[in-house]
Amino acid sequence: MKLDKTRNETYGYAVFKVFNIIIMLFVIVVTLCPYLNVLAKALNDGQDSMRGGIYLWPRKVTFENFRVLLADTSLYLATVVTVLRVVAATVLGVLVQFMTAYALSKNLKGFKIINIIFVIPMFISGGLIPQYILYSSIGLLNNFWVYVLPGLYSFYNIIIIRSYINTSIPGSIIEAAEIDGIGEWGMLLRIILPLSKPILATIALWIIVGNWNNWSDTLYYITNSDLHTLQYKLMQTIKETERMTALIQEAVQNGQDVEDMVNSMKVTTDSMVSAQIIVVTLPIICIYPFLQKYFVHGITLGSVKG
Amino acid sequence: MSVKNKTNKSQKDKGSGWAYFKRHKQIYLFLLPALVLVIIFHYIPLMGLSVAFLDYDVFLGMKSPFIGFDNFVRILTMPQFTQAIWNTLKISLLNIAVGFPLPIIFALLLNELSKGFFKRFTQTVSYLPHFLSTIAIVGIATTLLSNYGVVNDIRVAAGGEGTERILFLTLQKLFVPNVITLGTWQSFGWNSVIYLATISGIDMDLYEAATIDGAGKFKQSWYITVPSIMNVVIIMLILRIGHLFASNFDLIYGLQNVYIDFEVISTLVYKQGITQGDYATATALSFMQGFISLALVMGSNWLSKKYNEVSII
Repeated sequence: MKLDKTRNETYGYAVFKVFNIIIMLFVIVVTLCPYLNVLAKALNDGQDSMRGGIYLWPRKVTFENFRVLLADTSLYLATVVTVLRVVAATVLGVLVQFMTAYALSKNLKGFKIINIIFVIPMFISGGLIPQYILYSSIGLLNNFWVYVLPGLYSFYNIIIIRSYINTSIPGSIIEAAEIDGIGEWGMLLRIILPLSKPILATIALWIIVGNWNNWSDTLYYITNSDLHTLQYKLMQTIKETERMTALIQEAVQNGQDVEDMVNSMKVTTDSMVSAQIIVVTLPIICIYPFLQKYFVHGITLGSVKG
Repeated sequence: MSVKNKTNKSQKDKGSGWAYFKRHKQIYLFLLPALVLVIIFHYIPLMGLSVAFLDYDVFLGMKSPFIGFDNFVRILTMPQFTQAIWNTLKISLLNIAVGFPLPIIFALLLNELSKGFFKRFTQTVSYLPHFLSTIAIVGIATTLLSNYGVVNDIRVAAGGEGTERILFLTLQKLFVPNVITLGTWQSFGWNSVIYLATISGIDMDLYEAATIDGAGKFKQSWYITVPSIMNVVIIMLILRIGHLFASNFDLIYGLQNVYIDFEVISTLVYKQGITQGDYATATALSFMQGFISLALVMGSNWLSKKYNEVSII
């Protein structure tokens, strides 16, 4: 009897496994194909795309969309701003968070109060408008540093680095260095830093992705177009396309002939959106293999700590 | 932890007051940048919340007349604001209903795949949208759902030439489903990581013992894997409930267009506050959101502590 039951279940499990693979294939198609479709549209002739029927590969291959896109010099400025912001935020952010985490890994007098000061902002925040008022009074509006300074402090990152220092660096190494009279800066930079590389790489990648992908702070705090970032420019293009589509649709509803209007556009806005998506996501896709490894590493560390 | 104890013992911690501080001066100095940053960028805005109780005038600043709870009363009596609060709640609840169970199911299903290339590939692909910016996600949706996008192509192919092409992103009644679908699409793979990490920490002996006792694979999943991740599930749910009145500004603002009339708290705070310059009402609105969120986190944490002995604080 028992053997029968097990055999039944083994059979059931085999059927399940087949279904499971089908479900996973579905997941792969649903996540990957939209991006491939955008890539195909970016590489396809704009007018030709207006006929529809572009799925996973381009029908009339051209680099015209990218050529037109990259002819817009403001895009270069946006790239410079974005890269500078990522570099500044990463270097300074890792430095501040690492220093703080190392100090907190000791248990000196008064640290209880300091910990409380650090943890409260995780639960309550002033929100957008008080921040906006503050930034305007200290001159951070329309200032490059608004991208960098407010984000440098992150208690979450500090906790993760601290728990790494506490659990993964052998006490004997620290003691030996102390006996050698290395001093706190020497300890920080020559002993702890090299030993914390894996966790610092993880934190650095978090900061890089977060800063590269951010565009709402530009929307909130920046009106000077010289300080626009790549993602913000993509947002503008998408909104512009929507406005165009709305205009064309209105014209159609009013019975106007839009054929000329549409035909006059050599590169359609739809293709421009696709090309721009590819441009702004390409760096992320390129470093994605590292990202995945280190991000998972970090989230696992965080969860172990609770 | 062991490191901390050892280093402490090796130092002479007897001294007190100034002498103690001087000996550890360097360590305290390491904390200085973070302390300055947290005070400027977190505590000063917290004090700025008092704007919610003022009849704020840009020229008077913090010296604007105090009007008590008038701004809050205005919010609760104006349909524009109450609607945004309901909309936020609606999006959050739908996101929990759809977006919360999906990563758990996905993690359980992934766990049943045999280790190898296919499993790793599925994981890698499913995490990808998490790393793209929300505006890129909106852009991808715009492309797929445009007049001559894939979705309309498929509809025409299936329904014949006469099928009308629809601009899905301009339909008011599809706005909420669009937000939920895109949000879930972006996050389900990544949100499964925490469950997969927990599953990989389960003691393999449990499964071996169950096999010897004659439990099949389904029973092993149900009686070992599922209970083992339950604590993490509860923690994740608590965090979600704490964010009930928060909303994905980037996604909702990104999807809004001239045909859509749908505001949530965060988009309204931005439009009312920064675009229209009504600082006081906007601050009052986000003050309410923050206050309720704090109460929700504390409340759900207390509940879970009481019944499950799991707590995040």
